[in-house]
Order: sequence, then C-alpha cells, then structure tokens
Amino acid sequence: MIRKPLREYRFSLRARTTSWYVGLLAMALVVFSVGIYVCIRTYLNESLQRALSSTAHTISDDFLAKLPTKGDAWVLGEIRESYEASPNDHYIRLSVGDSVLYQTADMRDPSIQISEITIPRLSREGTFHRQAIHGRDVMVYSLPFQATDGRLIEVEAGTSLFSMQQTLHSLTKILTIATILILILATIGGYLLMTQPLRPLVVLTGKAADIGRKKLGERLPVIPTGDELERLTHSLNGMIDRLEDALNHNHRFSADASHELRTPLTIMRGELEEMLRIEELPPQAVENLVSTLEEIDRMSRIVNSLMTITRLDAGGERMTMQVLDLSELVRTTMDHMRLLAEEKGLPLNCECEREIYVYADPMRIKQVLVNLIDNAIKYTQPGEDFPESSLQEPRGRVDIAVFASGSSACLKIADQGIGIAPEVLPHIFDRFYRADFARSRDAGGVGLGLAIVKAIVTAHDGSVSITSTLDQGSTVLVQLPLVKSPEPVHKEEPVPVRKQSRYQPT
Amino acid sequence: MRILLIEDEPKVSALVKRGLTAERYAVDITADGREGLEYTETYPYDLILLDLMLPSLSGVEVLQRIRRTNQFVPILVLTARDSVDDKVKLFEIGADDYLTKPFAFAELLVRVKALLRRGPVNRSSTLRIGDLELDRLTQQVKRHGKRIELTAKEYSLLEYLMQNPDRVLSRNMIIEHVWDQSFDGITNIVDVYVRHLRSKIDENSDPKMIRTVRGTGYMIRSENAV
Repeated sequence: MIRKPLREYRFSLRARTTSWYVGLLAMALVVFSVGIYVCIRTYLNESLQRALSSTAHTISDDFLAKLPTKGDAWVLGEIRESYEASPNDHYIRLSVGDSVLYQTADMRDPSIQISEITIPRLSREGTFHRQAIHGRDVMVYSLPFQATDGRLIEVEAGTSLFSMQQTLHSLTKILTIATILILILATIGGYLLMTQPLRPLVVLTGKAADIGRKKLGERLPVIPTGDELERLTHSLNGMIDRLEDALNHNHRFSADASHELRTPLTIMRGELEEMLRIEELPPQAVENLVSTLEEIDRMSRIVNSLMTITRLDAGGERMTMQVLDLSELVRTTMDHMRLLAEEKGLPLNCECEREIYVYADPMRIKQVLVNLIDNAIKYTQPGEDFPESSLQEPRGRVDIAVFASGSSACLKIADQGIGIAPEVLPHIFDRFYRADFARSRDAGGVGLGLAIVKAIVTAHDGSVSITSTLDQGSTVLVQLPLVKSPEPVHKEEPVPVRKQSRYQPT
Repeated sequence: MRILLIEDEPKVSALVKRGLTAERYAVDITADGREGLEYTETYPYDLILLDLMLPSLSGVEVLQRIRRTNQFVPILVLTARDSVDDKVKLFEIGADDYLTKPFAFAELLVRVKALLRRGPVNRSSTLRIGDLELDRLTQQVKRHGKRIELTAKEYSLLEYLMQNPDRVLSRNMIIEHVWDQSFDGITNIVDVYVRHLRSKIDENSDPKMIRTVRGTGYMIRSENAV
C-alpha cells in the first residue's frame, strides 16, 4: 500500500524534469531551424540575383556596347554563341518595345514559355521583379540599354525559381524531420538518463518508508554521489537520529514509569490481601477492600497494556513469527469465547475460508482476535441486567469472516451493537479513548484494547479500520499480508502453543 | 523449609515474609545482591526468591553466580519486566519460574509450593476431592458416582482447580493456565466459565465445592467435603 504512491511520485518527477528539458530543447531547435532556413533562403536568393544581374550587365556592357561598330546581326550572333540557345531554367530576351530582338529557347524544367512572360518596361535602371506563370515563379532582372541609334533595348535575364523553391522545400522537410527525431531521441534518452540520478532517490525512499514502519535503529544508506542527494541523506539521517532519541526517551519514560508503578502496586495488593484475611472485619470494610483490590487489578492491567504498546511501537517486542492459518486460529479462539457470547444469547457466526495463511506471531494475533471478539460481544447487547440464561429472542449477533482479497488476508468482525458515533470514529484506536466511558467501564475495558490491536496489527505490516452506524453496529476490518503458499513445516501446527510455558504446578 | 528472599523493597519483603511465615516457612531476607549470594553459600536453602532490581549486584548476576555453585536449588524470580525477551533470558540463565509484579500473594504461594514439591509429584491418573472425581485418562468427571458432562474448557478449569485444592487461584493464574496470555484483560471469561462449571458440579449437591474468594479468585475446598 505504501509502495504504490511512491512509484507515482517518482514517475512524476522524472516526467516533469524530462518534459522541461525536452521543451527547452524544442524551442532551441525551432529557433535554430528557422534561422538556418532564413539564411539559406537569403543566400540562394542573393546568388540568383547576382547571377541574373551579372548576365544582363555582361550582355549590355560587352555585347550591346558594340552595336554601333559591329551591327545587329553580329552582336546577336555573338550573344547566341555565348549564351546557349537551349537552357533549362533560365532565359535571356532582348526586346525593343514589343518586338523581340533575341530570345533563348523556352524553359524546360519546368516548362515555361518565354512569350508568356511579360516584358517589363518600367525603369531606367536594372530592376528585379517576380512573375507567376501558371503558378510557377519566375524572377526577372531587366536592364534598359539606350542604343546610339535611339532604340531602347530591354535586356532581360530571368530564371525559374522552381529549383530554389525545391531546395528550400527539401530543407524545410529535413529540418522538420530532424527536429522531431532529435526531440523523440531526447525524450527517451532524457527519461532513461533521469533513471540514474533518480535511482538513489528510489532506494532512499523505499528505505525511509521501511524505517518509518519498522525500527528507527536503521539509517539510510549514504550513496556517495557527492551531490544534493548525499547531503539530503545526511540531513535525513540526522533527523532520524533526533527522532530516535526523542522516541527512545519517550519509550524509556513509559517503560520506567510502568516499571516503577509495579512495586507499589505489589505492596498495595499484598497489604490489602493480608487485611482481608482478618476474620472480624465488618462487611463494609470487606466491601471497600475488595473494591480497592479490583481497582489495583485494573491498574495492573493498564500498566501491562501500556508496556506492551510501548514495546510494540518501538519495535522492541520480540515476535515469534511463523506461517499460520488465520481461519484455524479464528476458529479455535471462537470456540474459547463462544460461552461468553452464549451468556448474552448471541450467536457467534463464522464464515471462514480455509487456508488463509499469514506470517505472524500467533499469540499476538490471537490477542487481536480476543480483543475484537470480546468488544463485539460486549457492545452488541446494551444493559447488564439482562437475564443471564435468556429465553428471549437474540437481539443481535456477531459475524466473523476470514477471506483473502488481493494480497491481503482479511478478518472482518461485525456486531449489531450500539455502534459508534461518526465524530468519535477517527479516535477509536487512540489510547485511552473510549466512546462511552460509563458503558465500557462496566464491561471491564481499560480503553487500551483497540490501541493494542492497532499496535499489533501495525507491527505485522497490516492495517485495521472500522466502520460503524449508530444503533446498528460496527464492523472492524483487519488486513494482514497474505502468504500464498505456506511451507509444509508450519502447516502441521496451525494452532500455536505458548512460546514459553511457566512451570505448571501439579 | 527454609526460603531466602532477596528483595530490596522493604515493604514487599515484609509482606512476603509475613505471608510465608504464616504458611510455616522459615524466611531469611536480604536487600543486597552480594549479601544474598553469601547467604546462599552459607545456608542450604530449599528455595530462593530473587528480585531482579537490586543494588550492588543485579538479580541476573546473582542468578548466574548461584547457578555456578548450586545447580539444583529452585529459584523463583520476581520481576517487574514482562517482555518475552526478558522471560526467555531468565529461563536461559537458570531461573525455574518467575512472577511478574504486581502479583497476588496467593499466586506466589502456589508457585512456591509447586517448586518445593517438585521431586515426587503426585501424577496419579485420578484426582479426588470429597465425592468429586476426575479421571485424567478417560477425562471423566463424577460426583456422588454420577457422571457429569463437561466441555473441554470446563474440564481444564476443573482439573486446574483440583490440582490445587484449598489454594486460592487468581483469575490471572486461571487464565494463564487454562487459556493463555491473549485472554488477559477479559476478566469476565473466568467468571462465566466458573459459573457454568459450578452449575454442573454444585447445583444439586452439597457441600458447595467451588468457592469464590472475593477480590482474588476461586478455590476448591476439600475440608468441607470430607
């Protein structure tokens, strides 16, 4: 139960770190890609323009300048010779007004007819402009040439932008794919990379949870990473040191206190017993002495219970653990308590699945059972003046169930008693907390029964919870870790015997 | 029978001494562990009652030293600790029995008598008090020769009472012998069973054998039944 949320926490830290880092990387990659794209596009554009303008100026300066001396035919022949007549994606055209003096062949890749390109007639200087012919972009540089014979010859050098656009398109594709690929790899890599630095954290978390549940004597392993984690480990260990000190102090105090109480209790008991042996005591005195003796008994029980809880809490109580069949233990315990229930005319029912194995200290679990069943019987029928051997209809019953649920062995004890008010329900496992002081006192409780139950169950890595409806009854659910297959050795003795028997007088 | 009591709390030792003397035991008292050890080396005691919390020499130490020189004297430890670890350790270092404070004197007496009687134990198969008979082999109980049907727990309870005739058995002792420690704290379970047992044994017969000793527990009396 404790492991699960831990795993989720670890997951989220990992995911959060990875997503931050991937997000930043994505931004960097996008800026980088856009930059590259813009640079390359500018560069390609400029080199195209340079090529076009140099072609136009060459024609104008080297060839057309010779018009007055060499004549049209010669000049055009020279131009035809210098500039190939069958270009792929560029063209040259010389025109005067609407009449074309010279033009190269139509562009083939992509095929664009030069005649479709409008002859620009605008400026005196060389200008660039774009035209779209059937969806295909063409860039044209036009340069006017004022011939000496008065003709204004328009020199055009143009090129299809298709190949440049193609290049840019490919570039976009490459950059996009590269960005996505890098991001995917970075995500996976980053996620995996986070495992390494997080691993000590996982170890620490598991260990810390164990220390919390079990003993405080252990310390977190210091993983020499030399980073914040190592420092954290040291600080945590320091904190556990102080906690342990405080708890030990508390534990010692409880132990010492109950220990110190025992001697005076012994003396009081002895003195009273001795006094009771006096024959000529008046009846009132006997009554008072006996009542005092009973109170001493109760105090002794409180002292004992307190010591037990203190030890269980501190993990100092040695437990004799073995694999045992919970249903078997429940049945034996019920048999021992059946008479108590019969006294009140209560049926004691058991729906116990067989062979529900747990790894536990049989004496302790039996104590849990006895406490809970005793409570259920005690509270199921209010009123002590009820006839002992009642012929009346039973007013309630106690149902006990043992079953397996998931990885838990469950013990459910349901009574039909007075129930517990919702506002006291959360405190019901607290020490000395009792829902109804007068009632439970009459029934002989000392207010520590459920606290002991909780301490024992917790010491077994289990959990205990209670649900209740006023005037309808309460249900206690105890969950212990389930043992799937018991070792055959333990199977033979599911009902435990006392660990250390006292010498038995015969 | 001579008993040594090593106990540093004067009121406790005074009480125990008065009680044991009334039962005609000779009791020596010392409050000091080292002195107690010297006593055991000087006199042949039949039983030693040893408190664990002692000045100068701890009870555990005393226990170990006594066992080094005297293997057989029964030692009953009085302790204020009751964790399983402590108890196991006590038996390991040679205690014969222990009693956790606060104890009822009746319980101390039963244990003392049991330890002193350890040698020849009456293990006959039939326990008989007055006209009440309990056969351990067949697990049958008879009164006036008439068979009485008992449940298993009632039988164990009666057997325990009959093993200790004329001795007060506290509820605690009964729980620990007939049930086990986990039933400690459920006081009325003993009362309920005794009531049932009584209705079967005593209801139609005289004299009544099972007596309630107020404030302490129950006992079976043999003298009235003779």
